[in-house]
Amino acid sequence: MMKIIKVNEDVCVLCHLCEIACIVEHSESKDILKVFKREKPRPIARCAVEEDKPLSFSLMCRHCDDAPCVKACSNGSMHRDERGYVVVDEETCIGCWMCIMVCPYGVIRRDERRQKWNLSTKCNMCPDRDIPACVEVCPNEALVLGDVVECT
Amino acid sequence: MHIVILGNSTVAVAAVEAIRSIDNMENKITVVSNEPFFTYSHPLLPNYLVGEVEEDEEKFSYRRKGFYEQNKLNTILGDAAVFIDKNAKTVELKSGKEIAYDRLIVATGGIPIVPPMEGVNLENVFTFTNLTEVKKFKTALPNIKKCVVVGGGLIGTRLTEKLSIYGVETYLIELLERLVVLALDDYGAGLIRKELEKAGGHIITGDSVKSILGEKKVCGVKLASGKEISCDAVAIAIGVRPNMDIAKNAGLEVGRGGVITDEYMRTSDPNIFSGGDIVETYDLTSNQRRSIPILPIAYAQGEVAGLNILNREVKFKGGFPMNSMKIGGIEFISMGTVNPEKDAEIIERKYDNGDYKKFIIKNNCLSGAIFIGDIEKAGMFNWMIKERFNVKRIKDYFLKEDFGWKYFDRDTRNLRISRQLK
Repeated sequence: MMKIIKVNEDVCVLCHLCEIACIVEHSESKDILKVFKREKPRPIARCAVEEDKPLSFSLMCRHCDDAPCVKACSNGSMHRDERGYVVVDEETCIGCWMCIMVCPYGVIRRDERRQKWNLSTKCNMCPDRDIPACVEVCPNEALVLGDVVECT
Repeated sequence: MHIVILGNSTVAVAAVEAIRSIDNMENKITVVSNEPFFTYSHPLLPNYLVGEVEEDEEKFSYRRKGFYEQNKLNTILGDAAVFIDKNAKTVELKSGKEIAYDRLIVATGGIPIVPPMEGVNLENVFTFTNLTEVKKFKTALPNIKKCVVVGGGLIGTRLTEKLSIYGVETYLIELLERLVVLALDDYGAGLIRKELEKAGGHIITGDSVKSILGEKKVCGVKLASGKEISCDAVAIAIGVRPNMDIAKNAGLEVGRGGVITDEYMRTSDPNIFSGGDIVETYDLTSNQRRSIPILPIAYAQGEVAGLNILNREVKFKGGFPMNSMKIGGIEFISMGTVNPEKDAEIIERKYDNGDYKKFIIKNNCLSGAIFIGDIEKAGMFNWMIKERFNVKRIKDYFLKEDFGWKYFDRDTRNLRISRQLK
């Protein structure tokens, strides 16, 4: 069964390390110092921490079974990869934001720094890793990898 | 089973993907299109016209190379279906070929509305809904210095922007007093107008083209106000209507907004399904059946048609208009009914940085929304419209810059985030 990142707001300590780890993981060098001191453009974090103290939690793509972003994509760039996760083909994405228009979680970001075409940016479940970077770095299991219990 | 699909765009691709996700390639699928092209991305046509993207680039295609082979599709491209005999279960093509089907999907899309005016058949009068037409426009483009765009909707405004930036002196003529009437309000439309003018476009509202002037080729237009504008091309972008003659002639039930289907996307004939710009769709925000010619609805309907051909009993319960666009420096997303009747509650705000948000609420349900600038959370509102979410307790937070799941009650938030609440 496909696992997704489960969010536990009760134990999030608002450290933002998930965002840092995400940026590093999706950088050129994957070296935290290089990324934050030198790399331009710096990747956009694909998870985002919401806070309304004392509440806080990090949220990223839920990789919906019935993903509206895949269906609304204007040229097939948003698709499911061989693992079953919803990912963007960066080569073909034109940044039309149809995916943003329909994402029921509001977790797709705009990257408007490319020369010609904008780029839709979202969690890709770290294809180079067994455990996503945000989950691994989370100090208090506020993000864990788990099975989906779907509604009926 | 032999499944024949008339059309090669969103509905066809969605149906193929749905069928192939469950049928182990057991069914034979034939895709028929009057256009001789690999499935392409309609929203990119304005970019294609001005050379920002070429036909052979992957991003111009609606699916990646190999799509037809991987899905074992028979394709008949460049040969139009001319008649459906629903009793014999055959489709006759323009070439004279006849195809027998077990199940048929009629997805012939929309055709441009061209008003019956003098001069519409002149050389250099173009429409803008398919690649065949846009190719003609593109070929003529290097010799076009001045163009009149008829219709200030979503296509007309995008076209005006692209042509103006490309260097064509462009006049946009809109019958109503403002642009993008269906997708924006006065304020939003005003911003778009400014952006188009900044790009060099000339915007004329409250007037219409009465006739197109010229001997063989376009040399100008005459407006209802009496004004004449000289030009060497006219682009008609008033809108699309369902391309449903073939369905009508087959004896399928049709309404004003298109071919009639049930929630399973089945037409009045049990072996024929339909979807996309050709059908009448139930609008969840205006509670009317009408044509809603947008890509996300076409995909959803195509998918449902495909699944139901394999007896999956999946329903398409309705949709609503939604659009995402960028004109000049303005990005906007709008959804639902944005110009409501008087009894609706309206929540709106103009932000200091130029952003704008507007929400239309009826009976504690969101029925429309406009986002200009800050659009990234728009989809959450799309979900609220679709699910008829009761917004009574959350609406006070809608205008907050940091709107998010944190403002929902704990149970709703956690059930949603864990995917246990639809």
